[in-house]
Amino acid sequence: MDELTREFLIESQEGLDRMERCLTELEERPQDAGLLGDIFRSVHTIKGTTGFLGFKRLEKLAHAGENLLGLLRDGKLHATQGIITGLLQLLDGLRSILKTIEAEGSEGDGEDSALIVHLEQLQDATTAVAQTAHTAVAASGQSAVSAPAEPPPAPVAPVASAAPAPVPAASVPSAAEPAPPDPTVQTEAEKPRPQAIASAAESSLRVDVTLLNRMMNLVGELVLTRNQVLQATANDPNMTMLSRRLDMVTADLRENVMKARMQPVSNIFSKMPRIVRDLSQVLGRKVRLQVEGQDTELDKSLLEAIKDPLTHAVRNSLDHGIEPPEVRVAAGKDAEGTLKLRASHEGSHVIIEVSDDGAGIAVEKERELLQLIFLPGFSTAAAVTNVSGRGVGMDVVRTNVEKIGGKVEVDSRTGKGTTLRLRIPLTLAIIPALIVRTLEQSFALPQGSLSELVHIPPEQANASIEWIEGVALYRLRGKLLPLVFLDRMLTPNGKHREADERDNFIAVLDADGRQFGLVVDGLADPEEIVVKPLSAVLKDIGLYSGATVLGNGDLALILDPGSIALKSGVTMSAREEEAAVTSGEEVTDELKGLEYLLVETAGRRAAVPLADVLRIEQLPLSRIEYIGYRPVINFNGQLLPVEDSGGVLQAAEGKPEAQVIVVVCRDASRHVGIAVSQVLDVASGADLFEAGTTQRTGGVTLLKEHVTGVVDLGNVPPLPADEHQTADWNRIAETLA
Amino acid sequence: MSTATVTHAKENGTSALVEVCSVRLEKTWFGVPISHILEIVGGARPQPVPLAPGYVGGLVHYRGDVLTTVSLRHLLNMPPKDGPQDIIVLESKGGCFGLLVDAVGEVLTLSAVDFEQNPSTLDARRRALLAGAYKLKDKLLVMLDPERLDPIRLSSAQPS
Repeated sequence: MDELTREFLIESQEGLDRMERCLTELEERPQDAGLLGDIFRSVHTIKGTTGFLGFKRLEKLAHAGENLLGLLRDGKLHATQGIITGLLQLLDGLRSILKTIEAEGSEGDGEDSALIVHLEQLQDATTAVAQTAHTAVAASGQSAVSAPAEPPPAPVAPVASAAPAPVPAASVPSAAEPAPPDPTVQTEAEKPRPQAIASAAESSLRVDVTLLNRMMNLVGELVLTRNQVLQATANDPNMTMLSRRLDMVTADLRENVMKARMQPVSNIFSKMPRIVRDLSQVLGRKVRLQVEGQDTELDKSLLEAIKDPLTHAVRNSLDHGIEPPEVRVAAGKDAEGTLKLRASHEGSHVIIEVSDDGAGIAVEKERELLQLIFLPGFSTAAAVTNVSGRGVGMDVVRTNVEKIGGKVEVDSRTGKGTTLRLRIPLTLAIIPALIVRTLEQSFALPQGSLSELVHIPPEQANASIEWIEGVALYRLRGKLLPLVFLDRMLTPNGKHREADERDNFIAVLDADGRQFGLVVDGLADPEEIVVKPLSAVLKDIGLYSGATVLGNGDLALILDPGSIALKSGVTMSAREEEAAVTSGEEVTDELKGLEYLLVETAGRRAAVPLADVLRIEQLPLSRIEYIGYRPVINFNGQLLPVEDSGGVLQAAEGKPEAQVIVVVCRDASRHVGIAVSQVLDVASGADLFEAGTTQRTGGVTLLKEHVTGVVDLGNVPPLPADEHQTADWNRIAETLA
Repeated sequence: MSTATVTHAKENGTSALVEVCSVRLEKTWFGVPISHILEIVGGARPQPVPLAPGYVGGLVHYRGDVLTTVSLRHLLNMPPKDGPQDIIVLESKGGCFGLLVDAVGEVLTLSAVDFEQNPSTLDARRRALLAGAYKLKDKLLVMLDPERLDPIRLSSAQPS
């Protein structure tokens, strides 16, 4: 395929994408001249270029559509449901021809005359009006058109010639538009068209994705090299400045290359109105689609990966979530259901929520049961429809999302609706991981599935690790946690040291709801690792999800907690059984008190709510930098304010090589670090009451029989916000306008 | 050695010339056609992969990627060797992989005339790995076929 055709294909796809967005908006605002003009331009551009490239079939179809659109644009016709359906068919027709061209290099010999005739009939105002009836829409097309319209050519000629050259000139640059930072373009930017678009086209440029992928790889390499340089020069004071500079530049570069790969989720959200429209007609639902956070950005490859899961989720919501109008009215709800798509940032993740106000799943008591809907073949739908209900959908959603390191959560309330949350990592290539040691070798454990670490020294091993018929268990706050010894798993025939002959580190992992403890020989530092794919032979082993190069130059295999759980037989049902065994007062006691991380800050004990703890970092004091008097840590451009009310940092001052421990917590949407001298334990706290009253005291809890103060994360003042940034954005917005 | 073969080839005149890289395992020399070689990495210490098939010699870091290596020693039923080994990075249909050998020798130019197929008396396991031999003046240079050493081929050929 030559360059010109390829260019044409890309531009046409973009044009059609825009046309689709406009069409679904047109349904709400059928009189909007701007929208009609936009749609007209998309089709006109395609027609103009096809004629030039010699794609006759495409040209004929586009021509028929253009005639109809011309009438609409000039106000001679009103955009009725029937016409919009017809235009959507035109869109599908154009798309399928483009697809054929892309695959085969030629248009193929499909037959479009039926569609063309239909489009011509729609030009007849009377038939079009007659078609407004909803039934005609559902019947989707030709058969519904009764009157064989008079030959339409009459209005064709003037309309076609009334659209001369300037129009394509305006719409061609607009095809290069998705790059600018304001993705709400579709609605707001309609009016101030020409100049804004011209400047966007000048300042943006189309780059091949493979080139970006290579750049990403190279940056990954640079990150590795940086890690190695940092480790090698850690003890050399002369290199400190240089390596810090290298660190900063690398972080900056990485961030910018990643930014270049970012695309707004509106790229996939914009496909949804059409799906919702078509499906709600097929299924007889009335649905209003609300979209939020369209400008949230995500790596392009991840965006591609969640397209299918998201479509599945939307289908599911429409088919099984939102009830038919009459059922809704009977249940006292608005006949029109609401489907919400929401994207937002949360730390290093993007959260995408699909929520409906439909019937929900009737199992609200047991949260774990909700996990069941992800099992292949499990369906809650009473009837299998052609839209969904075969029990495959949610399994696909989950597999696809987990493949890219994301997570799926469901929250459902009977009668109120279902919310599906997809947690997607910002980037595929670089993930935080804990490096563990076993068999004299390093392995990387993704932080995402790691919930806590427990250390059992050899002398305590016999007391702490209990056995049932050769199966090791550890009592984690009253619950039995199955243990998997990594060395035994990796060398089934080798010799192993018994638990009481060595240090045992239990990494408590949660893989798709399966909780277990992975026992390793030692822990090394947490590191940001660059995931490298493994060859097929090693992937087949099933325990490793990839490999990485560590800061010290060693290679480490990345362990896949899910596969380890499967391979060692840890299942969800096993966990449920355990819960049943340990149920009773003990469990209720557990539920009553919140869990806390018990820390020591300069001699005093303090408690941090465990739910707020994200991770614990141990780092050299030199990593702590200061804004004025406020200590902060720079994590690749993300500044973490560090609370040091305990004076841990002050105490270590003057010893740059000293290690400090920082507990990283979540406080609302921001992250806060707390400097501590030691992390002691995790325990559940009990409420304390003021003597003689039933008044619960705030800010303290009873932990391990000691009254312990609870750290108030909200007390940590926020870092100063950047006034310039907001100002800059305003200026850019103004110049664009 | 190489000059001898070159003159030999010239005497024949008509036959095509083949460039072959010689590699050593203990005292035996093998040949790998140079057309399949991407690079030679010296003194590598591959990272073992627990639970991997026996013929996998481990992983090495190679140009930003993680390269799976195949242990020629294991394939030829030789005991594993401690210490650094040389790696020949080979290109095959399934991507790149490394071949672990004791040492890499030199590049020889051989004449196709001197090539002979595997002897029929060779046992099946070795016949699957070896691709004939070149008759040198003083010895035989047994050829390895990179395609047959590809870990994907090996995994389907011999269930470890």
